[in-house]
Amino acid sequence: MSDITPIIQSKLSTESGRRRRPTSLAAHGEPAVWLMGASLTLSLMMIAGLLSLIAYDGFRAFWPREIQRIELASGEVVLGEPIRTETFTPTEAPTEERERTLYRVGNRDTSQASFRWVEQPQVATASTPDDVVLVERIAWGPWLGELERMERVTADGSVEVLSEGHEQTLSELSEQLPLAKQRLAEIESLQRSVIDRANKQREAWRLRVAVANRQLADTDTAVRGLSKGVWTPVLAAGLGSLAAGWAGRKKRWAVVAWCAAGLLLVGAWVEQPTAGIAMTAERVEQIKSDSSQAERELVERTSEAEARIAALVAANDEVRVLIREPRTGRVAPTSVSKVDDPLRVAQVVRVVPANELSLAQKWGVYLSRWREYLTDDPREANTEGGVWPVIFGTVVLTILLSLAVVPLGVIAAIYLREYAKQGVITSVLRIAINNLAGVPSIVYGVFGLGFFCYTLGAYVDSGPVEPLPRMPWWLMAAGLGVVVSTSVLMAASGRRASTLGSTASSRWLQRGAGIGWLSSVVLIVVLGSTTPYFHGFFADRAAENIPTFRSKGILWASLTLALLTLPVVIVATEEAIAAVPGSSRQGSYGCGASRWQTIRRIVLPGAMPGIMTGAILAMARGAGEVAPLMLVGAVKLSPDLPFDQTAPYIHLDRSFMHLGFHIFDLGYQSPDPEASRPLVWVTTLLLVAIVFALNSSAMLLRARLRKRMGGPVV
Amino acid sequence: MTTLETTIAMTNTKLPRPQPAAPREYPVVDAIRAGEGFTPEIHEEILEQDSVVQISGFSLWYGQSRALFDISMPIPRGKVTALVGPSGCGKSTLLRSVNRLNDLVEGVRVQGDISLNGEPVYGPSVDVIDLRKRLGMVFQKPNPFPMSIFENVIYPLRIDGEKRRRVLEDACKNALQKAALLDEVADRLHESATALSGGQQQRLCIARAIVAEPEVLLLDEPCSALDPIATLRIEDLIREIAESYTVLIVTHNMQQATRVSEATAFMYLGRLVEFGPTEQIFQTPRLAETEDYVTGRFG
Repeated sequence: MSDITPIIQSKLSTESGRRRRPTSLAAHGEPAVWLMGASLTLSLMMIAGLLSLIAYDGFRAFWPREIQRIELASGEVVLGEPIRTETFTPTEAPTEERERTLYRVGNRDTSQASFRWVEQPQVATASTPDDVVLVERIAWGPWLGELERMERVTADGSVEVLSEGHEQTLSELSEQLPLAKQRLAEIESLQRSVIDRANKQREAWRLRVAVANRQLADTDTAVRGLSKGVWTPVLAAGLGSLAAGWAGRKKRWAVVAWCAAGLLLVGAWVEQPTAGIAMTAERVEQIKSDSSQAERELVERTSEAEARIAALVAANDEVRVLIREPRTGRVAPTSVSKVDDPLRVAQVVRVVPANELSLAQKWGVYLSRWREYLTDDPREANTEGGVWPVIFGTVVLTILLSLAVVPLGVIAAIYLREYAKQGVITSVLRIAINNLAGVPSIVYGVFGLGFFCYTLGAYVDSGPVEPLPRMPWWLMAAGLGVVVSTSVLMAASGRRASTLGSTASSRWLQRGAGIGWLSSVVLIVVLGSTTPYFHGFFADRAAENIPTFRSKGILWASLTLALLTLPVVIVATEEAIAAVPGSSRQGSYGCGASRWQTIRRIVLPGAMPGIMTGAILAMARGAGEVAPLMLVGAVKLSPDLPFDQTAPYIHLDRSFMHLGFHIFDLGYQSPDPEASRPLVWVTTLLLVAIVFALNSSAMLLRARLRKRMGGPVV
Repeated sequence: MTTLETTIAMTNTKLPRPQPAAPREYPVVDAIRAGEGFTPEIHEEILEQDSVVQISGFSLWYGQSRALFDISMPIPRGKVTALVGPSGCGKSTLLRSVNRLNDLVEGVRVQGDISLNGEPVYGPSVDVIDLRKRLGMVFQKPNPFPMSIFENVIYPLRIDGEKRRRVLEDACKNALQKAALLDEVADRLHESATALSGGQQQRLCIARAIVAEPEVLLLDEPCSALDPIATLRIEDLIREIAESYTVLIVTHNMQQATRVSEATAFMYLGRLVEFGPTEQIFQTPRLAETEDYVTGRFG
């Protein structure tokens, strides 16, 4: 130690005698570190708090609660699940503080509300008897009461008592309930596979007859197409230029010849003399008789299924269960209008004798509620049942959106970074793209509704609103052919001439080719939107005023979100591409690779993890978006999934349910907010979990990509 | 710290200072500085030989600044030719002009011509891609692509459209054999190339450069990012490869030039100054500038 002392002393003063100060805490950055640590801790605490609140309330929601039997001082007996207790100041006694408890009392058919505040002083006795049950019903919410008996009432009016008392009825229910559910499932599947399909066919036949009638009335749709005298030379010219292109030695003229051949041959095919056959009264009659024949067959086919359904419904109607509530002494009714007709077993979802359940049984109830929630359709204005269509809609939307946005964004970013000359225009474009990311999402929603649903959708349904006459349209098509072939020639000769010290002429050639590509894109759009040959994919339905794509739908919703998330993908991809080291590119060029080969084989694989990051961000943002979806496709209830077993299996025109919108709907649009509150938590938990799952699977994929590349695996 | 610094300062003062060299005349450098013309000293032995690349009156500009001044020289066939000279003298630029890698730089302009086996490199009808396929290039820093070793080596064949598995595998084995890397990586051909050591990566790059059997191999300071042992291995490799290829190598390291090359060109300020057989350049150079540069007294 003593050896070191002189050195330390010498450190404290300089040669000129100025004393060196010991380094202060501030100089070490101690307060800054504390501040940074504090703000990080605060942020983490807020996030952790949010997540644990969601997790706590979400996971707790389905746990079976105890059922209390409360005798009030007034002599009234109330059954209810205690929800929460609070102190309050009653208006009649502003100085007092009293305690009150909120009970879920259910039985909406006999009492008006299914929740009830009970003030503590009013309670005479409170107990948790074993013989009370909570019955979850398909309609009208839960019913709390005491199981009395089960009976079978056959069609002739004879009553057979199946069980008596709590114990017996409970065990009998565990036998009868699955049977009833089986019958319900069979009814459902018959509905879907036979009745719904038959109805679709009926609708198709009805449309066919309507179209035939309309065509008969409309004389314009008579024979179209060229006369043979004109058509033959067109076909011959097309084949001739095809052959000329084939035989042509000069590549550039072959391109022109092929363009012309394509135009002429497509024209000949579209305008062939046999195109369009006039509708005659006989054909209409024929179609009508075919239709009625088909209707007879359909009736024959469905009558069997309908009889089976009727039998099943009758069987379900026989078995009844009497659950009496002590307050009014009434049994659970089968419907609100028939208060004395007891509940059918088929109307029961689940019977929970909450107070006598063992822990294992409670877990059983809990898991079965989760299963119902994840795999069933919603019931009772979404406040009960499951969210399967909602999950499905959200996931399909997210997948469709990333399928749309990733290729588009990546292609745009590649052009912007690799091909476009870096200058004022690209800078302006970049700023514009970054600004697009800041546009409020509802604006995208409005745009999506106006453009995708009403404009593009109308085009898909029934073709161009104002198609051009045939002659000007073909002239424009020929113009497109000229522009395309000129651009090809200009690009080819511009590239050939652009050796070192590129000349002014080569620059003009390349610029000309660029303008040519741009105008050909514009021309293609104009040609497509004014074509006289396209009458829409769903013209028949559109003529009957039934929109198909001209309405909200999952396709338009995902395209709107794709537009919304496009800047994210473009920016991420551009950064990833720029991060690919120049030495790799140089090496690739040195091996004799072209620019495109370098991009495809070196730049894109190297940028892939970054592109994945962009895709992850886009997916997460898209999955959590609500505002634009309310305009372009998300609806409160749509049990029809975008994919099912009826042709054409993929129904991108359908509206869908979305978790974000579902949360909004449950929390703020529900007729009974108190009843839907637990579901708000569960649905929030689910949305967070789905976004987390999507993100982590994408991250896993990215990590694997990086590992394959040999880069850092983070 | 202060004591340490003092110690260093004291040690420094005790070191013998290099004796100031006798002021020498540098006629060529003076001519360059004065903007006068001069004729580069090219030894007859070089001119007598058959050349694979012929550079004639070649100048190059990066935008407004001129990097190469009217360079004319042959690259002898089947030999290793070294380009030496101080930093910024245009060695690398000249090397990259041969396979037109300078085309990628914005605002490059050239004058004069280079020919490869009699065909012009800068002609208006030359396809740059085809040209680069005829030349192999190895860079200063090893630049393996982020893919497997196998894919790295056969990259030039892949972009040439070769799809036959057999051909690719044989070519890969061959190239790795020639690059003296096969034994080390034979059992992990399909693992990432970025996991190799620096020296191995550089040999991989050499294998990649020779897999398509180029007419000339261009090496741009291939050892400057490597440790001495890896450097020695690469130099051995260059000597072996030189038996079947013409090699043009840029180097900063005089010893390396004497070890691997048979002809050496000395460049200064964008001009070719002297070009001759390596032993003549290093032992009996004709110009004072060359002698002082190769002995470390100039540049």
